[in-house]
Amino acid sequence: MSLPTDFGPDSGGRMKGVCIVKPIVYGNIARYFGKKREEDGHTHQWTVYVKPYFNEDMSAYVKKVQFKLHESYANQNRIVVKPPYEISETGWGEFEIVIKIHFHDPNERPVTMYHILKLFHTGSGNDMTLEQSKGLVSESYDEIVFQDPTQLMHHLLTNTKQLTLGPWEHNTNFEEKKKKTLKSIIEAKQKVKLEIVVLKNRLKLAKEISKSQDNQQFVV
Amino acid sequence: MADVRDIMELEQPPAPEITRESFISEKQKKRPFNSTKISKRPEGMHREVFALLYNDNKDAPPIFPSDTSNGYKQTKVKLGMRKPRKWEWMPFTNPARTDGAVFHHWRRPSDEPKEYPFAKFNKKIDIPSYTDSIYQQHLQTEGWTKEETDHLMDLARRFDLRFIVMVDRYDTEKFPKRTVEDLKERYYKICGIIAKLNGEKKIYHYDADHERRRKEQLKRLYERTAEQMEEEQFLINELKKIEARKKERERKTQDLQKLISQADSQGETPRKTEKKLQKKKLPNPSRPSRVDTTHILQAVETAGIKFPDYKNSGASLRSQRMKLPANIGQKKSKGIEQMLQEMNLELNPTPTEEMCQHFNELRSDMVLLMELKTALGTCEFELQSLRHQFEALNPGKTLTIPPQLLSGNTDNDGNKAGGTGEIIDVVGSPGTPAGSMT
Repeated sequence: MSLPTDFGPDSGGRMKGVCIVKPIVYGNIARYFGKKREEDGHTHQWTVYVKPYFNEDMSAYVKKVQFKLHESYANQNRIVVKPPYEISETGWGEFEIVIKIHFHDPNERPVTMYHILKLFHTGSGNDMTLEQSKGLVSESYDEIVFQDPTQLMHHLLTNTKQLTLGPWEHNTNFEEKKKKTLKSIIEAKQKVKLEIVVLKNRLKLAKEISKSQDNQQFVV
Repeated sequence: MADVRDIMELEQPPAPEITRESFISEKQKKRPFNSTKISKRPEGMHREVFALLYNDNKDAPPIFPSDTSNGYKQTKVKLGMRKPRKWEWMPFTNPARTDGAVFHHWRRPSDEPKEYPFAKFNKKIDIPSYTDSIYQQHLQTEGWTKEETDHLMDLARRFDLRFIVMVDRYDTEKFPKRTVEDLKERYYKICGIIAKLNGEKKIYHYDADHERRRKEQLKRLYERTAEQMEEEQFLINELKKIEARKKERERKTQDLQKLISQADSQGETPRKTEKKLQKKKLPNPSRPSRVDTTHILQAVETAGIKFPDYKNSGASLRSQRMKLPANIGQKKSKGIEQMLQEMNLELNPTPTEEMCQHFNELRSDMVLLMELKTALGTCEFELQSLRHQFEALNPGKTLTIPPQLLSGNTDNDGNKAGGTGEIIDVVGSPGTPAGSMT
């Protein structure tokens, strides 16, 4: 990681009007041992991770990723400074993991995500897919939005390298999901709007009637 | 007393000289004395009461009142040593009396040669007089003879214009019965005319009609019966109620108007977003995601929910922008949740920029929809009660309410009743208008 010297941490202010979006995927995979382990009662092996949605080396702008595990784990706060940003552990229960991403520029506040570690299959749950080979996958898509980044950060964000030369894939097909969700949301929106128009007209009618009735009442 | 002496530096009793012996001996004397006399708090006595008895010097409490000296009782104040002045029983005359009667009273001889002090209160009113010729020329009026007028002026003189007394003493055998107003009217008229004749500018005018009306009004007010008073109070209360209702109605109409205009502005947005959609359908995912979000942020500000502007610089998560603002109440957010579930939508969709915008707009619209439904429910309820009122007031006539406003027959619209409307139907409307969403 070579920092160009002309961008010190305090060099220049923020770049107004610039907005850089970095999509990410975070979540966990889990695999059942097949039985309860004798020594500690653990049943699953799991890995919680944060990775870029696109094939790029996040370490260019990410200083470290902090995973805060359940307090029953030794060394509760795990810190990863280079890709892959992931923690593998074994356990028997589900809990909320706090994931905090720190950036190289201390002027950019870290962002925090909350992920419920998933070990067991439940009937519902939309963002959960199962692949036989990988066991259970529970991951979410999100986007880090850098509004008016600092010059240093801007430089780091726009000069990223590919992480691997091979194909970059995710367990979940987010593109399809995005398309589907967006479509249904837009449809729902139109439905709601239609309904608003209907209700609005009815309301107008009701208002007119009660108004005219008011006037009549005063006459009577 | 001793303190005052100290301050005034008057004779000070010689302080006993402190010698070594006296110092020691006193101490020796005092100690056993103190220790024996400080008695313990008697059982059952409150600590506070005990503390009152014992002050700092730990003296034993007195057995009987010891404050026998004069204490606060001072010797009487001596006011002047002069001899008192004399009072004398003296005769006096009152100039108000014509008979020159002499009375006596107590008075200081010093301030003797003065007039009787109360004589100045004997005011004489100047009652105008007239000659026959003046009367013939100026003072003749219909309804009043000269004799009666003379009688009136005589009474006025005798009773110093106390008209009530004058009416009482009026010679009703010779003359017709007159009221106070009649007398006043005639008297002040004469005064006015004579004053004018004397060349005076300012003339008092007595408005007899006004006075009569005023008295009549007071009389009526006084003579109201209890029932009348009750009725009046009742009517006043009714009036107040009517006015309050009117105000309430006006307020509601205003609210409604606001809601409708909101819906109107909402109605325009679909076209806009439609265009936007076509422009940027399926953004290329591999394209570097540098999009200017400002114009979208502005579009998010819709009528139902005000999502905060994320214009602050810094890094943040997109999903944060889909969070409902804190001012959205539990009820609204529950309503949104339920509507989303009924439409088979995720509560937290994948947060892309576009999704964020649409999802926020959707939920904003949902809130507006819920508000509209509530308003409509209230409106319908009011219409119904209005109809009942109308029919009660005008038997035989009916108030026709358009069918689409009757909540009973929503099935005619081809909609299924119930559903999403139910939870947000806050007001006791007779039924829930069914949504067109099924």
